[in-house]
Amino acid sequence: MSGTRVTDVLTRLIDAVPTEKDFGSTARSRELSARVGTWLGVCFLVAFLTGVWSHLAQLPDPLLPLPTRPIWLYRLTQGLHIAAGTAAVPLLLVKLWSVFPQLFRRPPAQTRARLLDGAERLSIAVLVSSALFQLVTGLANSAQWYPWSFSFRSTHFALGWVAMGSLLVHIAVKLPVIRQAWLRPQDVPGPGVVSRRTLLRATWAAAGVAVVTSAVSGVPGVRRLSVLATRSGTGPGGIPINKTAAAAGVTHQATDPAFALAVTWNGTERHLSLADLRAMPQTTATLPIACVEGWSASGTWSGVRIADLLKLVGAPTGAAVLVESLQRGGASSHSRLPGNVAADSRAILALALASEPLSLDHGFPCRVIAPNRPGALQTKWVNRLEAQA
Amino acid sequence: MSSNLTVARTLLAVAGALVGLYGAVRLIGLGWGNLVATLPWLAGVVVAHDALLAPLVVLVGAAAAGRLPRWSRRAAVVVLVVLGPVTLLAVPTLGKFGAKADNPTLLDRQYVAGWVAVTGLVLLAAALLAVHDRGKGAPRG
Repeated sequence: MSGTRVTDVLTRLIDAVPTEKDFGSTARSRELSARVGTWLGVCFLVAFLTGVWSHLAQLPDPLLPLPTRPIWLYRLTQGLHIAAGTAAVPLLLVKLWSVFPQLFRRPPAQTRARLLDGAERLSIAVLVSSALFQLVTGLANSAQWYPWSFSFRSTHFALGWVAMGSLLVHIAVKLPVIRQAWLRPQDVPGPGVVSRRTLLRATWAAAGVAVVTSAVSGVPGVRRLSVLATRSGTGPGGIPINKTAAAAGVTHQATDPAFALAVTWNGTERHLSLADLRAMPQTTATLPIACVEGWSASGTWSGVRIADLLKLVGAPTGAAVLVESLQRGGASSHSRLPGNVAADSRAILALALASEPLSLDHGFPCRVIAPNRPGALQTKWVNRLEAQA
Repeated sequence: MSSNLTVARTLLAVAGALVGLYGAVRLIGLGWGNLVATLPWLAGVVVAHDALLAPLVVLVGAAAAGRLPRWSRRAAVVVLVVLGPVTLLAVPTLGKFGAKADNPTLLDRQYVAGWVAVTGLVLLAAALLAVHDRGKGAPRG
C-alpha cells in the first residue's frame, strides 16, 4: 500500500469516528451528570474514608490506639464501605454514559487550549481507570475471587488514594459547571424520548436495588433480601467462615490432644492445656465478627479474658500482646493486640460459640475475639500469646 | 468567576494532586512485579467499558429509541438502568468463581433463583409503569 493510500484510509477512518454531536439522547445534560456525579462522589468519599479507617485498624502498632467502643463501629464502617462501593456501580455506569460523547470531542486548535484539554483528559483517564479498578477488584474480593496476581489489599489501598486524588482534581476542574447545574438548572424540554427525571429516578432505583440485593447480608432482619450477596451470613454457631482449618493446614495440630497454649512475659512462660483453659473463670460476650471482605455476623462467645491470662505470667495491665496461630504464613497467622485492646474486659480467648465448643473452622481449640476489630485480626487456632512491654 | 471559587478550585486541585501522587507512590512501592500485574487491569477495565460496554449500551439505546412505542420507553429505561448494573454486580456470585469446596458458608445462596426473582420484580414494575404510561396517552418520557 502506498503512503497516500494509507493516509486516505486513515482520513476516512477518522471521518467515520463519531463526534460528540452524533449522540442523540437529550437526557444527557450537565444537570444529569452533576446530580449523578455528586452522589457518586459521596459514595467514593465514604468508601475512601472507611477504607483508610480499615487500614488504620489493621496496623499492628497504631500511633493512636483505636477505641474498643462502640463494639459495632468497625462492623458499621466496613458495611458502609461495601454498601457505598455497591451503590457506586450503577451510579458510575450512568455517569459515564452521560458524558460518553465527550470522549469523542475533537481537541481544540489553539496550542494552550489543546494542552489544557490533554491534561484534563489525562486526569479523567486516571479517574475512570482507578474508579473502575476499585469497584471491580473490591467486588471480586468479596467473593474471594482473585483472577489476578497483584496483592489485593495493598493495591486496592494504593489505588483508593489515586481514585480520591483524581476525583478531587476532577471536581476542581468542573466546579463552575457543577455549581451552575445545581443552582441554575436548565430544563431543556426538547424532543427527547426519555427525560432526565426518568433517568435519574431509574438510577436511584438501581442504586437501591443493588445495595439491598448485594450488600445488606450483615444487617439482621433484612439480610434475607440480599439474594445476590456473597454470603447468607450464617454458618456454624450463626457465623460464616472465612478460611477453614483444612485451607489453613492446621487440622492435625488443632485436634492434637497434647495441644497447649503458651503464654509468655519477660522470660516467664506458662503452658495451658485446653482443660486448664476451661477450668479458668469464663467470660461470655456478644461480639460481632466483621470481615474486611464485607460480611459481618454477631455471636455469643465464651472463654477466658486475655487480661486474666496475662496475670498468670505477671504481665502488667496495658501490655500489648502478640498473638500467634498454629497457621503458618499468611496475614492471618498472627496479630497484635494493642495495650488498650488486651486490657479490655471483652477481649477474650474464646473456647465456645453459642454455648457449643468452638468448631474447628471457627478456630478450635481457642481463638481471639475482641470488640471493634477487623475480622482478619481475630486470630484463630491460637497457640501462643506473648505479652510485650 | 468569584475569587472564592478560584481559591476553592485551587485548593481542591492541589489536594487532589497530592493525594493521587501519594497513591501512585504507594503503588510503585509495592514493587515491580505487583505493578506489572496491576497495569493490564487498570487499562483493561477502561477498554472493557469504553470499547465494549458503552458502545453496546449506545447501540441498544439507539435501536430502542427508533422501535419501541413511546408508552414503553420509560419502562425500557428502568429495565436497562436497574437490571444492567445489578446483573454486572452479580457476575461473581452467579459464576461462583471464588467458591471453595471446603467452605460451605461462602457463596452459599441460590444465586440463579435470586437473580430470576430480582429480574421478575423489576420486569413487573416496568410492566406496571408501561401500562400506566399507555393509559395516560404516552407522556413525553
